[in-house]
Amino acid sequence: MSNEMDALQGAANHGVKDPRTGLPATPPSGPDVKGEASGRNRTLMGDAWYRLSRNKLALVALAWLMIITLAAISASLWVPRIYGDPVAIDTATVATGALQSPSVAHPMGTDDLGRDMLSRIVYGARASLSVGFMAVFVSVVIGLILGSLSGFYTGWPDALIMRIADVFLAFPYLLFALLLLSVVPKEYRGGIMPVVLTIGVLGWPSIARVFRSSILSVKENDYVDAARALGASDLRLMTRHIMPNAVAPIVVYSTMSIGSAILTEAALSYLGLGILPPTPSWGRMISDGQQYLTSNPGLVLWPGLAILTTVLAFTLLGDGVRDALDVKMKD
Amino acid sequence: MFQYIFRRLVQFVPVFFGVTLLLFFVTTILPGDPVALRAGEKKLPPAVYQAMRHQYGLDKPWYQQYADYLGALAKGDLGTSIASGRQVTDIFKDVYPYTVKLAGGAIALEIIFGIAVGIVAAVKRYSIWDTLATLTTSILVALPVFWLGIMLQYFFGIWLKNATGGAFYLPISGVSGVFPTWVYLILPSITLASVSTAYAARVMRSQLLEVSGQDYVRTAHAKGLSVSRVLWSHEMKNALIPVVTFIGLDLGAMLSGAILTESVFNIPGLGWTIYHSIRAYDYPVLFGCVTLMLFAVLFINLIVDVSYAFLDPRIRYGSAAGE
Amino acid sequence: MTDHLLEVTDLKMHFHTRDGVVKAVDGVSFTLDRGETLGVVGESGSGKSVTAMTLMRLIPMPPGQIEGGEALFDGRSLLTMPAEEMRQIRGNRIAMVFQDPMTSLNPVYRIGRQLSEPLMLHKGMSRADAWARSVELLELVGIPNARVRVRDYPHQFSGGMRQRAMIAMALACDPDILIADEPTTALDVTIQAQILELMQELQGRTGAAIIMITHDLGVIADMADRVLVMYAGRPVEYGSLDEVYYRPLHPYTWGLMDSIPRAGVSEKQELCPIKGQPPSLIDLPGGCSFHPRCPYAVDRCFHEEPKFREVDGTHGAACHFAGDPDFVRGQIACAGVSS
Repeated sequence: MSNEMDALQGAANHGVKDPRTGLPATPPSGPDVKGEASGRNRTLMGDAWYRLSRNKLALVALAWLMIITLAAISASLWVPRIYGDPVAIDTATVATGALQSPSVAHPMGTDDLGRDMLSRIVYGARASLSVGFMAVFVSVVIGLILGSLSGFYTGWPDALIMRIADVFLAFPYLLFALLLLSVVPKEYRGGIMPVVLTIGVLGWPSIARVFRSSILSVKENDYVDAARALGASDLRLMTRHIMPNAVAPIVVYSTMSIGSAILTEAALSYLGLGILPPTPSWGRMISDGQQYLTSNPGLVLWPGLAILTTVLAFTLLGDGVRDALDVKMKD
Repeated sequence: MFQYIFRRLVQFVPVFFGVTLLLFFVTTILPGDPVALRAGEKKLPPAVYQAMRHQYGLDKPWYQQYADYLGALAKGDLGTSIASGRQVTDIFKDVYPYTVKLAGGAIALEIIFGIAVGIVAAVKRYSIWDTLATLTTSILVALPVFWLGIMLQYFFGIWLKNATGGAFYLPISGVSGVFPTWVYLILPSITLASVSTAYAARVMRSQLLEVSGQDYVRTAHAKGLSVSRVLWSHEMKNALIPVVTFIGLDLGAMLSGAILTESVFNIPGLGWTIYHSIRAYDYPVLFGCVTLMLFAVLFINLIVDVSYAFLDPRIRYGSAAGE
Repeated sequence: MTDHLLEVTDLKMHFHTRDGVVKAVDGVSFTLDRGETLGVVGESGSGKSVTAMTLMRLIPMPPGQIEGGEALFDGRSLLTMPAEEMRQIRGNRIAMVFQDPMTSLNPVYRIGRQLSEPLMLHKGMSRADAWARSVELLELVGIPNARVRVRDYPHQFSGGMRQRAMIAMALACDPDILIADEPTTALDVTIQAQILELMQELQGRTGAAIIMITHDLGVIADMADRVLVMYAGRPVEYGSLDEVYYRPLHPYTWGLMDSIPRAGVSEKQELCPIKGQPPSLIDLPGGCSFHPRCPYAVDRCFHEEPKFREVDGTHGAACHFAGDPDFVRGQIACAGVSS
């Protein structure tokens, strides 16, 4: 098919590549005929940023995430002063202030122990966001190491690592997580680290696979042979040629993974094996509030909305990043 | 073709061993002591304690226990529950029907709504329907499933009951009572189906969009076929392939114990049982149920793989080009 | 007045995109008679494929839009007839063969089924009759063992065979016009020759007219009766094969002729490509769109767009100086190349 029709077909059918997420971040834009002719000099990263900045949905998501993150980080400075301590249990407040409806003093009401819901939600963000980022970090580190070993040195290391990945993936996710968390010794139970490690360890196979396939597809390319012929060492090949190409899908996948890590943490906390009191956690708040569903649905509603908006923001951001990096990923 | 099936079966084996081995290994580090837990508050005399440990083979090294377990498995014996003393196979027979019904209902919903919404979103691209669909699926995908369940409980069980003066509502807990069993599974099925359906709709939509940009679709139009004919004959047949695979795998995931949904709605199914066996350190139940569940999941994956070959002739007949 | 099978006048198809208006086809005119072959030649992006797709009404109408012109097929307007009527013409009276036969055939249906489709749709044949006819068609295009191969899937055919099958599918309903869009570009050179031979043979048998779209001047020389040269969406030269190849009027055509390797010339002779790149269709240069690359361009060419002008019968070009006896094809473009 001649090039012009390709470009024009692309203009008419701005399809999406990743089957799991079908969000059209931007309506169709014309064929990229400006390119060289108009002389606009764009680097690859600059190009991506430019496209991302045109995606309103992703920008809104990014803004929301920054608000939440800032609020969470600075929480200890302003939350307890305005709304009271989210963690401490004061028998006085329990008696008088439990289960209040939303008011100016308590915009989201209070829980069954008289603690302000808004401050608990903000504090819950700390737990969820930390778990999200750190768990994905762990997955990425493990995944990159194993994925590169697998992709670079084909043969038995590849086969072995991929088999292990298969086993991890065959194991029902939540079940595996619950099992691993049951193994945690008493003194660490209910903390953030066990959850981080669990989700992190469960997440490496996907990252490794993505990275491995990037490596394999890049290895096929002739320019790798060319570089090798020029005497490039393995490490140099890896850093200079393979990594830049592999970065894009990993960045996209990681952004989405943060969202799913947060969902998993919430589920684990709900079931009682994740983050336990006294650390506030959204999932736990939902399970605590379930018994008061009839009278005070807010106890369940607010934490759920918090989870929903946060994960949604990560998903939209991930979609936006993926579309912004689309041109590179096509290769 | 049969080579393909055979190869798939062969791959099943190491994965099975890998998973059960991993399972075994993880649980040997479990700090819990199932015998002590069963005894509860009572302090067992050492002799009895040892005897019970011996009875359950807990005094043997883990690789020995594994070997025993595999041996028993070959004979169809999955052991006895430490907590309740019942045969694991009996427990399984009691609980899995609920999970199967739950998963069945959820899959039906997923197939119907996932495919329908996906088609509408793709065909009416960039219209209000597409935007609505994409928005809804984005939200569903970001929802915590258990929270959705609770919200549904509130709305259909509590609020609706109040609003209609107790006349109209859906049950939200357990599986028995005033209504026939299937009514109790309505809300749980919807909950279980929700996230999967959202994903399925997205996959359907993006597959359809990708397919519609393909050259053979252009050829179909060039042959003078009507738009709907092109859609249903040419586009759908291709686009459905990955969707069917996806839904099939989802079925496997659902059968592997919808732990969260069963917890929220108090459905005594497989997931619920496995979860409680973890907390009670009831190894035989854990291993037994997980083993059976594994079989089911891997079996379904196999079927999915095979069906993929049926649907895509490129896999069925390898390339045999010859001028 | 002669009655042409297809008469295209001043066809314009523009794409309205976020980045601007892409004038993919901007004023194309030609005629086509029964049994005739028209060769449409140009670089990538010249608008040749879009022209064909526009005639077939296969361009999605947003963002595309027909901005003007007329296309009369057997007296009826292809551009304005209702969609239902157009569908009856597509695959039936005007058929198209595309560039890449692997992706142009549906991978999940058997060849026979795909060939039968237009037969059942347009000719009302039963499934059995259509399959039988499909076998005949495959034999016609030279597929060995057609009775068995008709049940194959596309991926079981080789590249050349697939293209033959595509041709068979296009000819199934005995069309008046066959549009071939780069039919041999994706094939090996040896297979190319076979396919072209096949097309000529079939044309002889059925009397169909062919519009052959390609960038390969050799293919045109082999097959075409008349030639349309396109550049940046506009027609640049039009005439009979002899006229365009031996008495070209437009500097672009000169450039094209100069750029092909020739037999009988010393090996040491450098190849002589046209300098520069085709322009962006959104950002066309002012005046004559070829002027940035034209060695003969003068001030007038920078500002005034040349209208297509007939110089000798139907032979014409879009150049201010076309036909001017003082405007001689010189050696400015390439040193040392004999014309």
